[in-house]
Amino acid sequence: MEVSEDVLYRIIERGLALGAKYVEVRFQNDYGYSVTLRNNKLMGTGVFKTKGVGIRVLVNGSLGFAATNSLDLEDLYKTVENAYIRAKATSRLRKNPIEFSEERPGRAKYRVVEKKPLQELKIEDAINVLSEIYKNTAGEIKEAKLVSMVKSLDIHIQEKLVITSEGGYVESYIPRLFIGVNSTLLYQGRSLQRRSEFGASRGAELIDEWKPEVKVRDELLNLEKVLIKGTTPPNEKIDVVVGSEVVGLIVHESSGHPMEADRILGREAAQAGESYVKPDMIGKFRVGNEQATVVEDPTIPGSYGFYLYDDEAVRARPRYLYKEGLLYEPLHNRHTARIFNTSSNGAARAMDYASEPIIRMSNTYLTPGDYKFEELIEDIELGLFVKSYMEWNIDDARWNQRYVGLESYMIRNGELAEPVLNPVLEFTTGWFYSNIVAKDRNLEFYPGTCGKGEPSQGVPVWFGGPNVRLGKMRVGVLK
Amino acid sequence: MSELAYILLKTLQNKFDEVSVLIEEKNNVMVKLWNSEPSVTQSWLQTSIQLRLAKSRRLWILDYDSKDPLYIVKNAEEVLKLASRIEESELYAPLPEPGKCSPLTNTYDPNVESSMNDPSRLVEEMVDASISQGVDRVAGTLTLSKTRTILVDTRGFECSEEKTGVEAYIRAFKGEFSGHWAHGSTKLDHNAIREVGRKAGYYATITNKKADISPGEYNVVISPLVAGNLFNYLAYMASALWVLIGFSVFAKYAPGEKIGSDVISLYDKPRDVTLPGVRSFDDEGVETFDKPIIENGLIKNVLHNTATASKLQLKSTGNAGWIYPRAWNLEISSGELKEEELPSIVKNGLIITNNWYTRLQNYYEGYFSTVSRDVALLVRNGEIEGHVGRVRIATSYPRLLSSITGATKNRYDIAWWEVRIPTRAPFLAIENIPITKPEA
Repeated sequence: MEVSEDVLYRIIERGLALGAKYVEVRFQNDYGYSVTLRNNKLMGTGVFKTKGVGIRVLVNGSLGFAATNSLDLEDLYKTVENAYIRAKATSRLRKNPIEFSEERPGRAKYRVVEKKPLQELKIEDAINVLSEIYKNTAGEIKEAKLVSMVKSLDIHIQEKLVITSEGGYVESYIPRLFIGVNSTLLYQGRSLQRRSEFGASRGAELIDEWKPEVKVRDELLNLEKVLIKGTTPPNEKIDVVVGSEVVGLIVHESSGHPMEADRILGREAAQAGESYVKPDMIGKFRVGNEQATVVEDPTIPGSYGFYLYDDEAVRARPRYLYKEGLLYEPLHNRHTARIFNTSSNGAARAMDYASEPIIRMSNTYLTPGDYKFEELIEDIELGLFVKSYMEWNIDDARWNQRYVGLESYMIRNGELAEPVLNPVLEFTTGWFYSNIVAKDRNLEFYPGTCGKGEPSQGVPVWFGGPNVRLGKMRVGVLK
Repeated sequence: MSELAYILLKTLQNKFDEVSVLIEEKNNVMVKLWNSEPSVTQSWLQTSIQLRLAKSRRLWILDYDSKDPLYIVKNAEEVLKLASRIEESELYAPLPEPGKCSPLTNTYDPNVESSMNDPSRLVEEMVDASISQGVDRVAGTLTLSKTRTILVDTRGFECSEEKTGVEAYIRAFKGEFSGHWAHGSTKLDHNAIREVGRKAGYYATITNKKADISPGEYNVVISPLVAGNLFNYLAYMASALWVLIGFSVFAKYAPGEKIGSDVISLYDKPRDVTLPGVRSFDDEGVETFDKPIIENGLIKNVLHNTATASKLQLKSTGNAGWIYPRAWNLEISSGELKEEELPSIVKNGLIITNNWYTRLQNYYEGYFSTVSRDVALLVRNGEIEGHVGRVRIATSYPRLLSSITGATKNRYDIAWWEVRIPTRAPFLAIENIPITKPEA
């Protein structure tokens, strides 16, 4: 760590001496690099380092957060004073004091093990990885035109040291690798665009496992067929099967977000919104059928959303958000846990030192079933399989949602048939979880950067699930 | 001028062909509201340092949220070792002739800075204005900021400027109904802050009835919040870099071609001293200037830095971004419609007061959808029938822009979570635009 523990403890002492009931100090150091290529030409190289201290205090029932990137002791004292003075000033507007749940303070040091440390991945090797993706694909796209392929590779090392006035002490080291590819295909005035992503928390050995040059090529070859031969879906209601990429996004949006306790209580009301879930629905309201089980688990080794202790020094654990259709356990920090009269389940995360820890997802997935994919579709006479998407959104209560398919196929007499261009799925959360007919045994994860908070914080997450057969629905088209 | 900027410039200028140092010093406070009371008061005292380094047409952007010059120099020297091992950057162009350093005046309001240690009175004014409309509760934020921007480079440009900022937004709730309003400025205006609360409360209480609609095509009026959001996405796509890589609806069009109706114009206004994105120089030291992106429906400019401009044998538009050119402030043209006559303007259709989660299926074609939030009003025969719930505008940008039939004379300066480029926007009337919602 680039700051001494002694300095962090002195900030805590200063905060307590000022009159704060609780002080939490987090040194966070985020660093790495990013290379970007258009086709096989280098556009630019970026190096970043974000290092500083974020401080939270509880004063007269009011919560203050202040951050600085100066590690000078006087500046740090000024920062804790800012947190204290401004929280105290606004405390007169609070009718209900903010309190935290009682928790056993976490004391741990942990780090993700890398076979090939990311910090040793040379920039020129990263450029080669991206260049290979283009070289392996460009010559294969023959009928359509690959207008452009913009690719980036990011390495991101995150070091944190969280110390609390209640005895919490958690030091962590998490390396993350991410590759993103934006491709545009053109054919006779029609176009199609795809963003492909790879992301996880480990070393450069991930590149060999992902084989991005093969996966991107294979996918774009399929998308070329979608662009050239894609038809529009029929107007009548048909069976729909959604692929694990789409399922992952659906559960992130419609079980993960609505089960964030701060959102349920209205803390994000003016930003990312509230939730269809109300506090008295937990453990009572059934949103779906017995197939609707969604797990949120930060402890999956190597996952993009991996952590073992949250930024309030609470130990992380897997949780059931929905269990066999029942709203089961929201994601909590210590503040919301206190209001719900329960314990925190370790969901507080901060993007960087300058961000307050707020309730975030980590790795969210729909549990898989027993079927093979072929068995999911074998008795569908007329249906649609949506494997991937580009456009999506959901309302601010997390109920009314839309996904526009990218790689999609008609299902005819139990088999995948001709490609379909831009099919539109629009349904409610209740409809989706009540209409899960069957799930296959595959469990695939996809990386994402989830946005929430003010100022907005993007944090790495995985979302995933199996391929899922749904009931019949009417499929829309773009207009 | 910042000593740190000079230290970095002097230390690195003999090692690289070009060095630019961009420093932002920020002092911000934000009160976030939840159920009519503060959920957290956040403060930031930050210095961010960005370096643009070029050597033999190789280009590096270094981004530090750290004030440690030794560390930064050591890092810069590390990247220098790469110069012989990586290829030239496709986006390299020599730094331009340095522009004139003439910081804009009237961008700093001492009342903003003096309110930072106790913003509670301002928060109270905003909340009370909303509660007085009869709402149950409010959420939102008030942010006060002071920013000093310093740029020095090896072409001899050196300049610094200072500005303050106020961003205020409120979402007011009355039972199942809600309203939202927002404001952004370089100045502290108590009336504008109270107006945020008042208008959020007004829309939360404008009806207590629910109405239902079927998916289809409707005449729609969108509020300045919705217009701000949709035109923010359009402005991102107006960045020449996005155009060059095909992730932009402007990639299909040449300058001068028609993309919208005659009544719609969109301007980049870096020199508007009331909007908080104000800047007198861009990141390459080019003096900024106001310009149309779309004027009377015709594409006039995409936004360039020197590198993107040089690829097309053009001049920078003063919108650098070392990699991504970007808009500073946006202004949407006004019209002759009257805000108080919106229901009669729509006659039969919808008034959508707020939206979020705009996403595109295809940037090249401009296909997108966005979801309404807060009150969305069904109007029949010029009368408000009730709130239709959450619906989508789902269409393409060319169709949306071509369907705009008018704008109000009155405009608002909007900045909030979903409008990150500050935007002066009117209410816009649009005809026959697709509206969708789930069947089940």
